Amino acid sequence: MASGTGDGGNARLSIASQFFTQEEGSGTDSMTTSERVVDLLNQAALISNDSKITILKKVQELIINKDPTLLDNFLDEIIAFQADKSIEVRKFVIGFIEEACKRDIELLLKLIANLNMLLKDENVNVVKKAILAMTQLYKVALQWMVKSRVINDLQESCWEMVSAMASDIILLLDSDNDGIRTHAIKFVEGLIITLSPRMPDSDVPKHHKNDISLERIPKDHPYIKHDALWEEGKGALEQLLKFMVHPAISSINLTAALGSLASIARQRPMFMAEVIQAYETLHANLPPTLAKSQVSSVRKNLKLHLLSVLKHPSSFEFQAQITTLLVDLGTQQAEIARSMPNLKEARKRPRDDTDPSLKKMKIEPSLGEDDEDKDLEQTAVPPPKPSVQTSPLSDTDITAEFLQPLLTPDNVANLVLISMVYLPDTMPASFQATYTPVESAGTEAQIKHLSRLMATQMTAAGLGPGVEHIKVLKEEPKEEKLAKPESVLIKRRLSALSQGQAISVVGAQGCISLLEEEAPQAKRRPEPIIPAPQPRLAGAGGRKKVFRLSDVIKPLTEQQVDKLKLAAVKRILCSERAVACSGAAQARVKILASLVTQFGVPLKSEVMAFILDDVRNRLDLAFAWLFHEYNAYLSKYPSGSLERYDECLLGLLSGLQEKPDQKDGIFTKLVLEAPLITESALEVIRKYCEDESRTALGMSTLQDLIFKRPSRQFQDLHVLLDLSSHEKDKVRQQAIFFIKHMYEKEHLREYVEKFALNYLQLLVHPNPPSVLFGADKDTEVAAPWTEETIKQCLYLYLALLPQNHKLIHELASVYTEAIADIKRTVLRVIEQPIRGMGMNSPELLLLVENCPKGAETLVTRCLHSLTDKVPPSPELVKRVRDLYHKRLPDVRFLIPVLNGLEKKEVIQALPKLIKLNPIVVKEVFNRLLGTQHGEGNSAVSPLNPGELLIALHNIDSTKCDMKSIIKATNLCFAERNVYTSEVLAVVMQQLMEQSPLPMLLMRTVIQSLTMYPRLGGFVMNVLSRLIMKQVWKYPKVWEGFIKCCQRTKPQSFQVILQLPPQQLSAVFEKCPELREPLLAHVRSFTPHQQAHVPNSTMAILEASSKQEMELKDPQPLMEQELEPAPLLPRMSQDMIALRLAQEKALKRQLEEEQKLKQPASQPRPAHVLAPLPAEEPMDFREEGPEVETPTIFISVQEEEEGSGGDGSLLDSSAEGPPPAKEPKSKEAGAGSAADEEAESKPENLPPAEPAPSSTQPSGPQPASQPEEQPEAGAGQEQKQKAES
Amino acid sequence: FSKRGFIVRSFGTGTHVKLPGPAPDKPNVYDFKTTYDQMYNDLLRKDKELYTQNGILHMLDRNKRIKPRPERFQNCKDVFDLILTCEERVYDQVVEDLNSREQETCQPVHVINVDIQDNHEEATLGAFLICELCQCIQHTEDMENEIDELLQEFEEKSGRTFLHTVCFY
Repeated sequence: MASGTGDGGNARLSIASQFFTQEEGSGTDSMTTSERVVDLLNQAALISNDSKITILKKVQELIINKDPTLLDNFLDEIIAFQADKSIEVRKFVIGFIEEACKRDIELLLKLIANLNMLLKDENVNVVKKAILAMTQLYKVALQWMVKSRVINDLQESCWEMVSAMASDIILLLDSDNDGIRTHAIKFVEGLIITLSPRMPDSDVPKHHKNDISLERIPKDHPYIKHDALWEEGKGALEQLLKFMVHPAISSINLTAALGSLASIARQRPMFMAEVIQAYETLHANLPPTLAKSQVSSVRKNLKLHLLSVLKHPSSFEFQAQITTLLVDLGTQQAEIARSMPNLKEARKRPRDDTDPSLKKMKIEPSLGEDDEDKDLEQTAVPPPKPSVQTSPLSDTDITAEFLQPLLTPDNVANLVLISMVYLPDTMPASFQATYTPVESAGTEAQIKHLSRLMATQMTAAGLGPGVEHIKVLKEEPKEEKLAKPESVLIKRRLSALSQGQAISVVGAQGCISLLEEEAPQAKRRPEPIIPAPQPRLAGAGGRKKVFRLSDVIKPLTEQQVDKLKLAAVKRILCSERAVACSGAAQARVKILASLVTQFGVPLKSEVMAFILDDVRNRLDLAFAWLFHEYNAYLSKYPSGSLERYDECLLGLLSGLQEKPDQKDGIFTKLVLEAPLITESALEVIRKYCEDESRTALGMSTLQDLIFKRPSRQFQDLHVLLDLSSHEKDKVRQQAIFFIKHMYEKEHLREYVEKFALNYLQLLVHPNPPSVLFGADKDTEVAAPWTEETIKQCLYLYLALLPQNHKLIHELASVYTEAIADIKRTVLRVIEQPIRGMGMNSPELLLLVENCPKGAETLVTRCLHSLTDKVPPSPELVKRVRDLYHKRLPDVRFLIPVLNGLEKKEVIQALPKLIKLNPIVVKEVFNRLLGTQHGEGNSAVSPLNPGELLIALHNIDSTKCDMKSIIKATNLCFAERNVYTSEVLAVVMQQLMEQSPLPMLLMRTVIQSLTMYPRLGGFVMNVLSRLIMKQVWKYPKVWEGFIKCCQRTKPQSFQVILQLPPQQLSAVFEKCPELREPLLAHVRSFTPHQQAHVPNSTMAILEASSKQEMELKDPQPLMEQELEPAPLLPRMSQDMIALRLAQEKALKRQLEEEQKLKQPASQPRPAHVLAPLPAEEPMDFREEGPEVETPTIFISVQEEEEGSGGDGSLLDSSAEGPPPAKEPKSKEAGAGSAADEEAESKPENLPPAEPAPSSTQPSGPQPASQPEEQPEAGAGQEQKQKAES
Repeated sequence: FSKRGFIVRSFGTGTHVKLPGPAPDKPNVYDFKTTYDQMYNDLLRKDKELYTQNGILHMLDRNKRIKPRPERFQNCKDVFDLILTCEERVYDQVVEDLNSREQETCQPVHVINVDIQDNHEEATLGAFLICELCQCIQHTEDMENEIDELLQEFEEKSGRTFLHTVCFY
């Protein structure tokens, strides 16, 4: 069973082409291909998802396969996508370049540079794809160069670039990325095959039949140098081989390289020897870094490739080695035999080599190689034993030959004993995996194998006679070539060589010891071993004369050194772009960072300025430096000083702080990623936070610090807390915002709370402590508290309060101790937080319940804040009530919860309430009448307006002076919206029915009449009822009665006529001017009507002269009083009829008004207003004698006008706007408030009252005070008696 | 695998499709041209009881809903990113086949073998292991660079050893 994840790219391709063909089929004939391409490209430019690839693939299909003539036209458009941010799109572009160039190689001229850019892309997958493309294109490009006999400059530079890229890719064998290395290996494989000649016994993959390879390159090509390429190919192979012996090579790279070597060996048999030797080396020296399973994977692979190589006829000469290896790898003999090529066939082949019928060109290169081989054989010091092998002797071969006779049993035993010492404690995975028991110990074959194994090791370590020989051999041609102009190739080889050596030495420890042990035996030929490396080095460096450095140099002066240092660093700084292009940016940053850390101030400031010049792009340098400094500090820990680190961090932070508008959070990044935040750095952060335009960013950085650096979180938190009392509003608010967030965290909570409370506690000091002014201003002496300093202490506390209600008690205790100024400020700022806490807060309720001594004002303030907008909760009411009854009988406590109290309680408290400051009284009424803030519905008063007015009338005058009561009633009348004519009618009705009559009854009647003239009829009714109740027995009321009659003439004539004669004359005594009109009135009656007027009455009416006499003799009048009695029923019948008619009319009028509210409001003032101004002054003047003095009224008005409606209990804190409300409404209200009235009337009638006593749905309640009225009435009666 | 969002195909590597028969030495053998439907009907006819009980019918039923017939890996020329095998023998066959192909694009394909014994319990465990492995590979930023380490981790975690190689198309 095998499964695999399908390759996305290919799948998409097929889908894309399907889609494409479908569309073709469905008929887009109307569009030309060109138009379609344009259309598709436009689509692709707009969308950004996966379908972009699909569309681009369609374009590719169209312009490469369907209509290649278009290719040139749309090239640029497609290439433009190489900057796309999608990796897939960039990969597509590479694929496109590959396809396009395969289709038309001339395009390479244009595209090679693009491909080069993509080869240096930052994404590894793109780079990989580019390498793949290069693997294909290199061949194509070479072919193109070879074909074109005339090479122009463009083509030349294009090929140069291709070559350069090839070298670059070879260098990628050292890439950090495993995948890139794998791809580079495959590229090198292709390169080697291309740059080496195809031989008759080469395996030629069908697909690559027509690919170019070295033998097709004419030697006389004007530009392409056959030999140079051949050298390059061999060099590449050498690179690959060196790569393979790297001790830390990854298993995948190794696998890939093994595969590559196998395919090289099969396709280019001339390299068979190198390949086999590489396999041998590897087998003996598996990289120690491989894990057990990787070892088995690699061995499996090695086996597979050995078998495949074995199948190749050219491996015939190496059969013995391969077979040994295969056996070691655990291959069955049968399997090996199966893979052996037919011997005869194999033997024939080498002979074929020399077949003269072959093309000359093909032989020449192989001859070139043979030359080398000959050299080797000639110069080899010990002529090797004649062996079956005719192939060139490799260094391993030579060493093996050399070792074989030395491996006597004694020597081997010694070797084993010595190497025991070097054995590791545990068995390495690779050994465990590869160990196979030695079957044929001591046999010739085994000794030979062993010597080969050892030789392989030694060669890998660069030791042994073989290595020396090869080196000597190789150096000669190299040195010759050094002088040649195209030395570029060679140089690369050299560097690779030394590199490879350096690497292999690492794994050679054991071998050296072996060698030393062998030394006695090896005495015969010691010379080539030791001196060899020296000449080689000398050869590489230059062979002309011995050069000694000390001869030509002098020490530089200090100044020069500094200057040079600075200049060097500057150069490194300036090389930014160039280095970035070449991909060594990381290295540059590292170098700079460590340089700066080591050197002095001028350099540092130079680099600092450089970083700050473009922080965004040089941040990595900044960090590298910072971390270097920190490292330097740590390395000397604990004695090291942080000073340099601090300087660096401070420089960066302050630099950033001074930069205008950087919004990308570099500052934050720096702060959060710095290894340590020092005190001074914290100070910079603090300053950053204080900058209003950056507060938010700064503080969120600080917050991150607090959360992410627990070790120093309290220092950081302290900064933030300090900022919470900052003088700048914005800074403070931000700080508080963040602290609130932190306050939710359990571990920070306590600290925050303590800080807030500490600040709060400062308020008990008589003068503000110096903390509040910052460290620099030492103004402790005698500076008084200012509002600013007070608030500073409160901000944080107040912000925390809604989150932790318990804190309120702290405030209360501080409050009691604080001075008046502080108290005032506290009261002012507390409102918002208290409202935030809500009246259900248990802590707040507890505060109310306990109300510490001295904190009464605070508590009241709290109560007010709470009930300002919402009705008090029963819980709150209960606490306040308890407080009031049990501990602090200050009626002012009740005001905020008035609407939560019961009716009875309110009535009981009324006398006390109306004695308070007028402003407070006004607030009380606002609350009771629901006229507060114009939203009457929110608070449901326990008393409806009528009840309130009645209660006022019934206040016992011993508990409260009349003046206050009058003022209070005036406040009621001022609320014209509430006290409508209906309400007043009900009030009058009820008051009238009381016995004794309330003292202020007639005042209210007159007032009502003044406000609502249309109540005239009703008032007449009231008057006549009063007569029945013998109104004259109540002096004050009687006075009012007369006044009322006087004002309502001639309407009142009817009433006056009902008075008994004695009272009638009393009326005339008071108001003589009434008599004449009344007489005239009576005379206008029909005779029949006149007959109903009692004689006694007539007598009083007519006899103006008799007046005196009648006054002297009141007795008869008193008697006559009884006379009209029989008339009364009739009269009252008339009266009732009259009243009914009037009420009907009134009702009708009201209904009309309600219907036509808006339109009616306009005409109304006209007829309502008209009589008012005329009557109003009279009202005051005439009422004067009855109720003390008119000044009362005036003074009330003045007070109301001059003082605020703030409703505050505190006299001093009255700062609210003047009420500008109804005080003058008797004149203005009727007119200007007419609109309002019309609108708000329905709302002002409470829809339903929760009080159990009232079941009526709304306003007028004719008889709803059953119990209280009598009591109050009785009290009033008593008082009146006392007065009279 | 499909459920977890992988684009996946399954293959056989042998010369024939073998299904368990009434006895270990008497398997049902079909060639790769036979559709799942035909196998299903064939087994249904042979011994409905047995093949329902051992779950073969269920498996065939599921398979035929995915594709019409089994596929042979060696005959598939499509390009994959990753090939997973569950038996060393199969791994060898796959690697050998891939290596014997002519290389054209040089695009790498990773072959990983996770040995799983052919029974239900192991298969379920193995399926989850492989699925987890695939998901981890999916989540690597740079698969080729990290796969080595990832496999080491998995070996440690699961206590199995994996074979892993890279081949090229």
